Amino acid sequence: MAEEKKGRAVATKTAASIPKFVRGNLAATLKAKEEGKKVAYAYIADGQDEIMRAMDIVPAWGESFAGVCAAKRDAEKYLQKAESDNFSRSLCTYATCTIGFDMVREELGGGAVPDAPWGGMGRPDMILGSAQLLCDPRFKWPQATQHYLRDVPVFVGSMYYPPFDPKMDHHEQEKFYVKYATEELRECVKFCEKHTGKKMDWDRLAQIVELSDRTWDLFIDTYELRKAFPTPMDTGDAMNTMVPLTFNLGTQEAYDFYKQLYDELQQKIANGEGVADPEKYRLIWAAGLPSWFALGDFQYFNSKGAVFPVEVTYRGCEKIERLELPKTNDPLEHIAWRWVRYWTHWYDKARKRPGSLPKVERIIEYIEEYKCDGVVFHSAFSCRSWHAGIIHQAETLKKVYREIPILILEGDIVDISSYNEADTHNRIDAFIEAVDSYKKRMN
Amino acid sequence: MINYFAGVDIGSTMTKVVIYGEGIRAMIIGPTGPEHRKLANKVMEEALIQAHLKFEDLSYIIATGYGRINVPFADRQVTEITCHAKGLHSLLPTVKTVVDIGGQDSKGIKIKDGRVVSFVMNDKCAAGTGRFIEIMADSLGVPLNDMGRLSLTADKPAMISSTCTVFAEHEVTNQLSGGETLPNLVAGIHESVATRVASLVKKLNIEPDVAITGGGAKNIGLVKALEKKLGCPVLIPPEPLITGALGAAILAKEIFEKYTKEGQVPERSKSGLQEAKFFD
Repeated sequence: MAEEKKGRAVATKTAASIPKFVRGNLAATLKAKEEGKKVAYAYIADGQDEIMRAMDIVPAWGESFAGVCAAKRDAEKYLQKAESDNFSRSLCTYATCTIGFDMVREELGGGAVPDAPWGGMGRPDMILGSAQLLCDPRFKWPQATQHYLRDVPVFVGSMYYPPFDPKMDHHEQEKFYVKYATEELRECVKFCEKHTGKKMDWDRLAQIVELSDRTWDLFIDTYELRKAFPTPMDTGDAMNTMVPLTFNLGTQEAYDFYKQLYDELQQKIANGEGVADPEKYRLIWAAGLPSWFALGDFQYFNSKGAVFPVEVTYRGCEKIERLELPKTNDPLEHIAWRWVRYWTHWYDKARKRPGSLPKVERIIEYIEEYKCDGVVFHSAFSCRSWHAGIIHQAETLKKVYREIPILILEGDIVDISSYNEADTHNRIDAFIEAVDSYKKRMN
Repeated sequence: MINYFAGVDIGSTMTKVVIYGEGIRAMIIGPTGPEHRKLANKVMEEALIQAHLKFEDLSYIIATGYGRINVPFADRQVTEITCHAKGLHSLLPTVKTVVDIGGQDSKGIKIKDGRVVSFVMNDKCAAGTGRFIEIMADSLGVPLNDMGRLSLTADKPAMISSTCTVFAEHEVTNQLSGGETLPNLVAGIHESVATRVASLVKKLNIEPDVAITGGGAKNIGLVKALEKKLGCPVLIPPEPLITGALGAAILAKEIFEKYTKEGQVPERSKSGLQEAKFFD
């Protein structure tokens, strides 16, 4: 039984339309069969979005569905289901939540699951996995899923980018990584062609990639409006407004959403409307996925006069011109360059500051540009990829930049048993006092 | 004329009140108990009696600790992190790292000139807190106050490998049945808590001087174990339980004086010395 929970307000009207977006994505996976379309289990930030869109494959995003389950505080039944088959609680809870859901759906014959949050996901015709450097569970998650969906073919590609080494010039290496990533994407296309029985329309793919580039640009233009004082939107909303970029890239709906958000933020700035009244402290959400069941904590920050004009999480794009991408007529090669440069374009800056790291350099850049007084990380225990590096990032930030107040919240993305609201708020209170003291000292 | 200020620290296990003028005028330490929300006023009354003052003599009051929101007569609430830093700095000004081992949590605080630079807290597991020692003392039938002294007579601390309090209790009783000596077991329990606390506090990049506060500071066995794990001596303030309440009282004084200097009067709570009504 889902726990009763008060609704969470968002600051922008545009963000309030996001639940409809997410429901629409889930519903599309259930309707796909009637429309003769194929459904693929898909994983975010994998470079395969445009391939799926160009081939009319409907993506079913496990990370989104698990987030919905968590936000509705209704994930426990799936976590327990997975645990009953020996999946450890310390594994990625996005993975275990969706695997638990798959187990339930298969027991019910593979159709719709009656009590699934927002209808659940449709049974996939294929699994398009992609591990990446940013998420190690995604090597095994698709394979573990196949254990329950024996007839569903799996593709697990991976797109790498050069690791950061301050003594090494990555520019020489990039082209090799791009070549590898392009080939991975080409294999993905072949896999999709085989299992859809359709040929890729390369002109259509190129158009979709061009639309994605424009969406990336518009996203950044929109989010940079948040530099205003008071900021017209904070991370509490951004954890919603990331949906079109993250789950609907390459669609006109995503582009139109950010146009609407851009217009609304401009209007708010013109009216001097902020998130907190008065806005006393500006913070950066520097790393970590949020606790989807506790998004109301952003409002708790707001109630203390603290706002987040910027976050690293789900800002998975950059202005295309800033990436200085080489010209190519191959849309797959373009995606590969965009992916590699997205990560490496902080490397030169990081190299110039002894002891720094690209992730830290990115945080410093945002602190400076968005005029932040404090830094908040969220260490989600089941998200190893981010959890593991947070203390190192925090230490490096203090060492190479300045003694700025840092709060490391602890919890999880889906597993609510990791969370204690009273203690979390107590930490936030103490942190705000430290930020207040810091601001007074700096002034 | 001397102005008086009060700090009320309602912790999970102990409630502390300090009345401060030009120094500590009164301090009261007592168990928080299950009815603490109703009892804050009674503890304050005791402190006022000890200080030979009336409630009206207090110029400003700050409440801190987990129960701080349940002190209706407090003029402001401030977290225990800020208050511990402030209080400890007044007692031991050279300290840069504070380790607080309380009844149901443990904390590490880095301070600079009495201000909090950063902090870490363990509030999700009893294994690094005073509660762990309480449960083990109960299991072994050793009075809590004797645990520290007893552990100093150990020749080889027992290894307590379970990090979960419930499983560790089972492990301790098994080892006792297997013939392990009481001092070795108690020393092992202290090492287990010290290991957890040290790994928490090391996230702060510890700088000396290091001080320990909270109920854990009253356990000499735990203090020795912590010194070993941290690799440095640990200072103990004269009364390690009152640093939070003292910090709250000093902060009350600073706030009051800041307002006065600017020719203003700080806003006061409209509630007099009365009990909270939350459960009525």
